Amino acid sequence: MTGFVLRRLFQTLVVIGLLSFFCYYLMTLMPGDPIDEMIAANPNVTSEDAERLRQLHGLDQPAYKRYWNWATMIASGDLGYSRTYRVPVSEILGKSLLNTFVLAGAALVFSLLVAVPLGVWAALHKGERVDYVVNLFAFAGISVPSFWIAIVLILVFAVYVPIFPAGGTSSISFDMTPWESFVDRARHLVLPVLSLSFLSIGTYVRYTRAAMIEAMSNDYIRTARAKGLSRDRILIMHGFRNALIPLITIVALSFSTLFSGAIITETVFAYDGVGRLVFLSIQRNDFNVAMVAFMISVSMVLVMNLVADLLYGVADPRITYS
Amino acid sequence: MSQEESRQRRNGSRRTGGRAAAAKRPIGSIALASVAVSVFLLGLYGLARPGLVGTREAPTNRSLKIGITQEFENLNPVIMSMSATNYMYRMVNRTLVTLDENTEWKAQLAVEVPSLENGLARFVEFDGVRKLEADWHILPAATWGDGTPVTCHDLQLSWEVAQSPYVSIPNVENYRQVEQIRIDPQDPKHCTFLYREPKWNFDRPFQFYFLPSHLERAVFEAYGDEPEGYEQHSLYTRDPTNPGLYHGPYRIKEIQLGSHVVFERNPTFYGEPAHIDEIVIVLIPNTGTLEANLRSGSIDMVSSLGMSFDQALAFAKRVEADALPFHVNFQPGFVYEHVDLDLDNPVLKDANVRRALVYAIDRQGLVDALFEGKQPPALHFVSPLDPWFTDDPADIAYYEHSRRKANRLLDEAGWQMAADGFRYGADGQRLRLKLMTTAGNKTREVVQVYLQDQWRGIGVDVRIQNEPARIFFGQTTRKRQFEGAAMYAWSTSPENSPRSTLHSGWIPTEENGWSGQNQPGWANENVDRLVDALEVEFDPQRRLELIHGIIGLYTREVPVVPLYYRSDVSVTPANLTGYRLIAHQVQATNHVERWNLESEAVDTSRRASR
Amino acid sequence: MSADALEVDRALREKQLEARPMWRIVLGQFVEHRMAVVGVLVIAFFLLVALFAPVIARVTGLDPSRQNVLARYQPLASWEDASPYEREVRIERFEREADRAALASYLQGAGLVGPDVPQDELFYALVGSQRPGELLGLLRTAPVPEDPQLRRGLAELEDLVAGLRGFHLLGTDELGRDVFIRLVYGTRVSISVGLLVALMSGLIGLVIGSLAGYYGGRVDSILMRVTDALLSLPILVVLIVVSAIDLGKVLGGTPLSFVVDHQYESVIKMVIILCAFSWMQAARLVRGSILSIKEQEFVLAARVLGARDRTIIVSHIVPNVIAPLLVAVTLGIGNAILFEAALSFLGLGIQPPTPSWGNMLHNAQDMVQHAPMLAVLPGLLILLTVISFNYVGDGVRDAVDPKAIRR
Repeated sequence: MTGFVLRRLFQTLVVIGLLSFFCYYLMTLMPGDPIDEMIAANPNVTSEDAERLRQLHGLDQPAYKRYWNWATMIASGDLGYSRTYRVPVSEILGKSLLNTFVLAGAALVFSLLVAVPLGVWAALHKGERVDYVVNLFAFAGISVPSFWIAIVLILVFAVYVPIFPAGGTSSISFDMTPWESFVDRARHLVLPVLSLSFLSIGTYVRYTRAAMIEAMSNDYIRTARAKGLSRDRILIMHGFRNALIPLITIVALSFSTLFSGAIITETVFAYDGVGRLVFLSIQRNDFNVAMVAFMISVSMVLVMNLVADLLYGVADPRITYS
Repeated sequence: MSQEESRQRRNGSRRTGGRAAAAKRPIGSIALASVAVSVFLLGLYGLARPGLVGTREAPTNRSLKIGITQEFENLNPVIMSMSATNYMYRMVNRTLVTLDENTEWKAQLAVEVPSLENGLARFVEFDGVRKLEADWHILPAATWGDGTPVTCHDLQLSWEVAQSPYVSIPNVENYRQVEQIRIDPQDPKHCTFLYREPKWNFDRPFQFYFLPSHLERAVFEAYGDEPEGYEQHSLYTRDPTNPGLYHGPYRIKEIQLGSHVVFERNPTFYGEPAHIDEIVIVLIPNTGTLEANLRSGSIDMVSSLGMSFDQALAFAKRVEADALPFHVNFQPGFVYEHVDLDLDNPVLKDANVRRALVYAIDRQGLVDALFEGKQPPALHFVSPLDPWFTDDPADIAYYEHSRRKANRLLDEAGWQMAADGFRYGADGQRLRLKLMTTAGNKTREVVQVYLQDQWRGIGVDVRIQNEPARIFFGQTTRKRQFEGAAMYAWSTSPENSPRSTLHSGWIPTEENGWSGQNQPGWANENVDRLVDALEVEFDPQRRLELIHGIIGLYTREVPVVPLYYRSDVSVTPANLTGYRLIAHQVQATNHVERWNLESEAVDTSRRASR
Repeated sequence: MSADALEVDRALREKQLEARPMWRIVLGQFVEHRMAVVGVLVIAFFLLVALFAPVIARVTGLDPSRQNVLARYQPLASWEDASPYEREVRIERFEREADRAALASYLQGAGLVGPDVPQDELFYALVGSQRPGELLGLLRTAPVPEDPQLRRGLAELEDLVAGLRGFHLLGTDELGRDVFIRLVYGTRVSISVGLLVALMSGLIGLVIGSLAGYYGGRVDSILMRVTDALLSLPILVVLIVVSAIDLGKVLGGTPLSFVVDHQYESVIKMVIILCAFSWMQAARLVRGSILSIKEQEFVLAARVLGARDRTIIVSHIVPNVIAPLLVAVTLGIGNAILFEAALSFLGLGIQPPTPSWGNMLHNAQDMVQHAPMLAVLPGLLILLTVISFNYVGDGVRDAVDPKAIRR
């Protein structure tokens, strides 16, 4: 087992390394660099200034050299310096990462809490009206463009019927008790979480339902019923547990989608998270921030894949890893 | 298994088989479901209770929340390059001289502005070269937030930092102009600047910033010779809430890059104490969300770096219709929207063609139709608010909107109108023009369409092609690749020399590394001569003559099609007094200490408009 | 069991032994899935709209690129008057087309224009005197002239005036363009991008999945690692980076540089980008399917009989792979449409003036409170289209799933 884990970890590192070069190279293909932005904003910048700044930041060197510099810098623990904000990357990234985790985590938990019972319910009433309605709801969830639903939510709940804040991470105020502060954060999270969860709820409902149906139609369920076990017990002990397997995989694998969805949600809601940061930093050719955020998200996803595979092994005793 | 059951199993329904268990089912799952749903709704309701934070009461002097849509960076003045940073900077720090809300130069941290007349400035001789030097005295009361007085050592430090090749300072010209700073050994608040070249605008160092030497010198000496060493270790980066970094009416209480900055009143400020206790500037990059926040009360005010123009116009109507407690302020400024013409394009080489293009545009109609007249049409590159402005027909060539004149000029230039509504040259080539601007800017796209319509009306086939700002500025305009017409804006300040935009020596070419902003490629030796003379002319009257001469040549030869001057727009709460929206580079925060939300003297004119 | 039961069983078994072509079985099962059928109808509707977009444009007289900066953000079901420039240009053309002297004096005689208006300003004065709607009414109620030439001239004048008005069912956008016709043309772009991407990525996925599944071993391992790696990328981030690349920089001197200056550059770029990142799902499904088929007896038998690799692939494996591939492609269309919308919304995908549902949403963002329909409508259409494709995909999946075949 450990051999397997180690091998996979090694493979993951290799993949991360290759992807980082790929991404870095892509970014160098983007026209313009941070110096050009500076020039556009300030007409007094002369070409000597621009030349000097380019040399200072090493922007006049070829891509592979710059990548090498960056990679060695990262390897030595220095995450680099943000060109846009003029502060070390770790400073900006820390808080935003936490915010995104909170948002994605809340969305994940909320989605599961809603989707799993719905999926089970629909599976139990397969073919009836309830099933159709839940199915429709699930399909809508996976088909709706997240930015559109975000805009609609803002329109409805923050403008027309103003009961939730229309964006932001939290209110800026200093005389809030920790409890008030927590509630305030929660208020600001409601709409973004709702918007982000649509897609996840749709996906999870469908998988749960399909897995439950699959599980419920198995022979051993029939055996259990014949043995006289109550319906609920069958549900929980056998049906549900076997439906868990694909669900776990799906949940673990949906990290990358969650991250992508977060970018749009954070942008529309002006939520101070790492998705928005990545988007902005790519636009501004702020290589350091973009690359670090990119690396983090990619590593997270790859690690989640590994975890999913391991969990798969745990949940299904038929599977062993050598 | 009975045949009944087996058939039902095949059909997939559980109606019969489940009826026995059905009695249990409803209570179990439905009850659970309703409990879950009610808990959820209760939770939402609890969170949704309005009144916890952000109700729409009028803001008080306790706190004012301002929304901006543009990013800001850390507030180290020497390396800052974003306008949002500039906006905030004026709240916490000031400069020797400033441009006030009446577009007049006033002393700010200096006791008096030096001039040749009051003897504080004089010409001197150094190795046979004539140079200029000026005495600056800093206000005695000016101190940094930790009590240390503001002295010339602070200017000396920023000057030294600016000379360093290892600091990523965007524009060194402000500092390089000064060759040497001599500090009076008896009075550290008195120093003499020796200027490299005697330019007439030496008395306007509004971008020569102060660095707190008592805190920053140590940093500069320790890290100044590593690339970016100083800026990474500067206290503005490491310890931005240190009161010693700020000498203005406010200091920073909390700063979170990419999110918000909290300012609190600075008790050591040398001038009148600010009325508002705390100001928070919040970054909301999405303009729609910004407006939603404004209406719901999460923010009280939108700065000039906020709404789009269309949005502001629509919002102004909404304010009127629903009697909302806001003022929407429009202020024409110094941002010159224009269309650069590539003078190397064979079509545009003919000055008559260029003049025809200008005649064909109804600029007044444009600003009336698109901006409700709130952005004034432009005659040339000098803003109507600029002391150098002139619209005297004796000085400039004036182009009224006349399609007939435009048509006649094009006929004379050899472009014949064909039946399909377009003009063709002698060689059968259609009169084509490519019009480019930044993609995603709605106002510009609207103007583009307007121009296209009007130029099509005189037979010009205009093709629109837009690019993201990064490419447009970074490459297309900088390297003069736009091949036809490029529409964008320059940001100018009053009495600004047009050297980099009109002098032939500043045409960007490969040889000079693409420096300069003379994108049209205008090479007129008269203009060159006038610009050179302008910068060293100390007689204001003579300066006026020189600039009018330049404007005259500019309007006669039309290297650029002037469009309009952009207005800045901001939204303020109805009870805010002492605020003036300023549209030049020194923004409204320059007089932030006068902003007042609880003044008894409510402006009666405003009350009437509501 | 009773005799009846035996009867029933035998009847059923006989029915099962009846040979029915595969496609009919599949179709029959598909039709049972109600929502899938609804989905097919909706998609068919959108496809028709997309195909006949130019016809719709011609019939309604609307043009998706016709801008009128004086009629921006018009509400639903409103009439728009042409801009003064449009008026002038049309009148000029009208005057150039034929000799209008007779018509001019007729109009003066009918009292529609003042008697002392000179001819070269007459038509301008007439058209400028009131709104096209009222003017049209006046022209129509004017006494009919005897002379057929004059009658024709009058008819042409009426056409001109009628052309100065536009009815906007769904209002206008920020540049005064008709929203309805833009949504129609947006259908074209969005659906064609979706279809193209899904088909191409399906093809790529088929090739790669087949190679991986059939040859196994090292090839499989490498290909699967690549697939996993690409799947683990946060798609949107990569899409953002890639779409910001200046194609000119990359393709500059190559023969492909014609692509760069083409009007549809942004569409082409978008299709290429989306294809490159959508083939993974299909490849996985194909590979899984091949892996399970490879070991089955009939393949073994074919090999023993001496059939070549290519024959085996083409005649045995491919037909069995089509089913999951079809599902992947159908579901992929929906995904592709969503991604295109997302990128266009961020400002990176299809560039205006080419209308796409995503970029219409992008432009409507900051006026969302003042003209909400501009933002709501494109999103609604995206939702409808994607949900239909998803239902169809679900229907296809149910229809081809061998376990679900009950006849």
